[in-house]
Amino acid sequence: MSVSRRGVLAAGMAAPAFAQGAGRPLRFVPQSNLASIDPVWSTAVVVRNHGLMVYDLLYGLDAQYRVQPQMAAGHEVSSDGLTWTITLREGLKFHDNEPVRGRDCVASIIRWSKRDVLGQRLDGLAEEITAPDDRRIRIRLKRPWAGLAWALGKPSANMCAIMPERVARTDPFQQITDATGSGPFRFRQDLFRPGDVAVYDKFAGYVPRGEATDFLAGAKQVHFDRVEWKIMPDPATAGAALQNNEADWWETPLPDLLPLLRRNRDIEIGVINPAGNLGVLRFNFLHPPFDNAAVRRALLPAVEQRAFMDAAIGTDPALSVVPAGVFTPGTPLANAAGLEVLTGPRSLEAARAALRASGYANQRVTMLGASDLPVLQNLSEVAGDLLRRVGFNVDMPGMDWGTHIQRRNNRGTVDAGGWSAFCTTWEGLDVSVPGSHQPLRGHGAAAWAGWPTLPALETLREEWFDAPDDATARRVAEQMQRVAFAEVPFIPLGLVRPPQAWRRSLTGIVRGGPALFWGVRRA
Amino acid sequence: MWAYIIRRVLATIPVMAFVALFVFSLLYLAPGDPAAVIAGDQATPDDVERIRASLGLDRPYLVRFSEWVFRILQGDLGTSIFTNLPVGHMIAQRIEPTLSLMIVTLCLALSIAIPMGVVAAWKQGTWIDRAVMGFAVLGFSVPVFVVGYLLAYVFALELDWFPVQGYTPFAQGFFPWIENLVLPAVALGGVYIALIARITRATMLEVLQQDYIRTARAKGAGQSSILFLHALKNAAVPIVTVVGIGIALLIGGAVVTESVFAIPGLGRLTVDAILRRDYPVIQGVVLLFSFVYVLVNLGIDLLYTFLDPRIRY
Repeated sequence: MSVSRRGVLAAGMAAPAFAQGAGRPLRFVPQSNLASIDPVWSTAVVVRNHGLMVYDLLYGLDAQYRVQPQMAAGHEVSSDGLTWTITLREGLKFHDNEPVRGRDCVASIIRWSKRDVLGQRLDGLAEEITAPDDRRIRIRLKRPWAGLAWALGKPSANMCAIMPERVARTDPFQQITDATGSGPFRFRQDLFRPGDVAVYDKFAGYVPRGEATDFLAGAKQVHFDRVEWKIMPDPATAGAALQNNEADWWETPLPDLLPLLRRNRDIEIGVINPAGNLGVLRFNFLHPPFDNAAVRRALLPAVEQRAFMDAAIGTDPALSVVPAGVFTPGTPLANAAGLEVLTGPRSLEAARAALRASGYANQRVTMLGASDLPVLQNLSEVAGDLLRRVGFNVDMPGMDWGTHIQRRNNRGTVDAGGWSAFCTTWEGLDVSVPGSHQPLRGHGAAAWAGWPTLPALETLREEWFDAPDDATARRVAEQMQRVAFAEVPFIPLGLVRPPQAWRRSLTGIVRGGPALFWGVRRA
Repeated sequence: MWAYIIRRVLATIPVMAFVALFVFSLLYLAPGDPAAVIAGDQATPDDVERIRASLGLDRPYLVRFSEWVFRILQGDLGTSIFTNLPVGHMIAQRIEPTLSLMIVTLCLALSIAIPMGVVAAWKQGTWIDRAVMGFAVLGFSVPVFVVGYLLAYVFALELDWFPVQGYTPFAQGFFPWIENLVLPAVALGGVYIALIARITRATMLEVLQQDYIRTARAKGAGQSSILFLHALKNAAVPIVTVVGIGIALLIGGAVVTESVFAIPGLGRLTVDAILRRDYPVIQGVVLLFSFVYVLVNLGIDLLYTFLDPRIRY
């Protein structure tokens, strides 16, 4: 570890402060500004990461993506599969030192069930959600649902954050104002300056589980008294701050800056989230030309996932995974069924011929980008170029994310301000299972932007929910992938695995998903 | 004089009203939807609609505008759509870093640019003059962020004299405060120094041709006395005018500088708010900047009377 000139000078001027170096906060540079503190109201990844610090979940995923009890001591399911009784661990407390009771969990589950896609499934299936006493939660279902624990423990947005009942009674479409949580860190609302700093103190009343730390399961042992999130909008500044020991950990180093950071002996770079983000090229099913399955399929022979990945995250093969099917590579449901449409020989000519045969009438294709989000913009540029080379009449208006996401909700034609296609990325955990895989839905007007009506996918999704075992679930996933490559609601572009960078003085960083702040300590 | 000040202060009311109407209308017409940003990438249009309704963004333009104006008149700038915090509170949190940056930049710029301009005029046509004007061209030409990155690389990363980023409140001590502001102020001050140095030189050249300067020389006044007491004071009015105009430059430059040096000021607040379409914050900050600019101009006009006794209001 290097000693900086300014550090020595500072030590000379303020010896007592230097002596307290071991208690120094962990200084973390998150991927973006923490604008909201409500992980049920907001779907932003940064808000979810905040939520994982401040709120505990009834269940947690381990590094193999299996669900394990977390706040729950365990659960019992009735023989008909319709009644779940979840028992809470002893000693659980909120940050105001009030005990976590069954009714707090019930209110939290109900609020979450109005916003999250799996929560909404629970909302539809639940006959009753009650708290028979302070340590138990009872969920009575209309139909058995084996995946309920997974839904309650999944870390992807929106997560089922356990809040005090008074907070959880907030309208799910309004954000909470009270950050009293149940997790290992207490959010310091008094020190919160959005766009600048978010401060988290270790919650002394948190009772970790007895098992070893295993991603979001097991013990959440905190070794820092304080974690500070420092918002740095400029990547070059964040990189310089990390090099200059003004930051300990940077969540999203730009690929361009990685060579520079690698030259610094005090900095380590690694992929801690193997599930990464799945790149997606999405089509609008409502209007020509992509309302025609033959037009959508015409693109497949020309798609080179490697080109998309190189543009998104650079040429280091460790930072992306191809080929990628419709489920996150490396997760249990990832499979190769029908994947030959993307892994066979690539041919621009074949794509052009297929487009000519499809009946495409040179309609304008409006491709949305987002100039302020480099990964999305780069994916969009490659997709736009590919569409042009295949023979589409492409229009790619410049826009930022705020404009993009508004325009995406426009169901009109391109002449009426609508769109034809866009690229984005989905959190790998979200698209690892059909339940939370929004691009794989086919329920028409209620579906994710693009609004495909594909009943076959909906039927298979229900079959997955009802799958009695892993083998059946995998078989259903293979069928879904085949249907997806036939109907092409989207084209998977590869898995981006963004690296993170941290000072070597940090050890014990928990791997498996997003940046987590338990387990980590300063050497 | 007091009547003039009161008249000018009252004149700010229609200006501010126009700014308010303009900003509100511009944001209303601009593409982008905070509800869609909040709902996120995964939301369905129904989710977006429900959020829009909960934020009151589905109401007609006139209703929203009149409500906003009514709140403004009560001194309430509204609540941020994203953070749920009062805009006034968010501005209060961010005002010190921006004010500090502007004050340090202004002090730095004036203390460098005016002597440079005076010396360049005095040594007109020499290498000193050419060097000063060369610097001025450079100051105008090189973007603030390029200067910022260069300074951070050399003085923070390589030499380790200053921190790369951040801001320390003045309450925590002068040295930590100024340490964080030196590099941003130099980066931001470049264009300002260039502007003031050029106007100072041009005005001084004109003044140095005046009869009273010849008279001062004839009666044996020293060079520095001629330059700084006789000439500079008479050249001050155009310089002060440019300093005032330059405040707008500083405000614009602060947006970039605060991003490059991760200073949590009003500039960054504005950029974040624009990217997210956080309308109440954008409206609040733009109103504040407009008000400051109007006040600065009033201050400059009043300063004229002290610099030139012939000016009376």
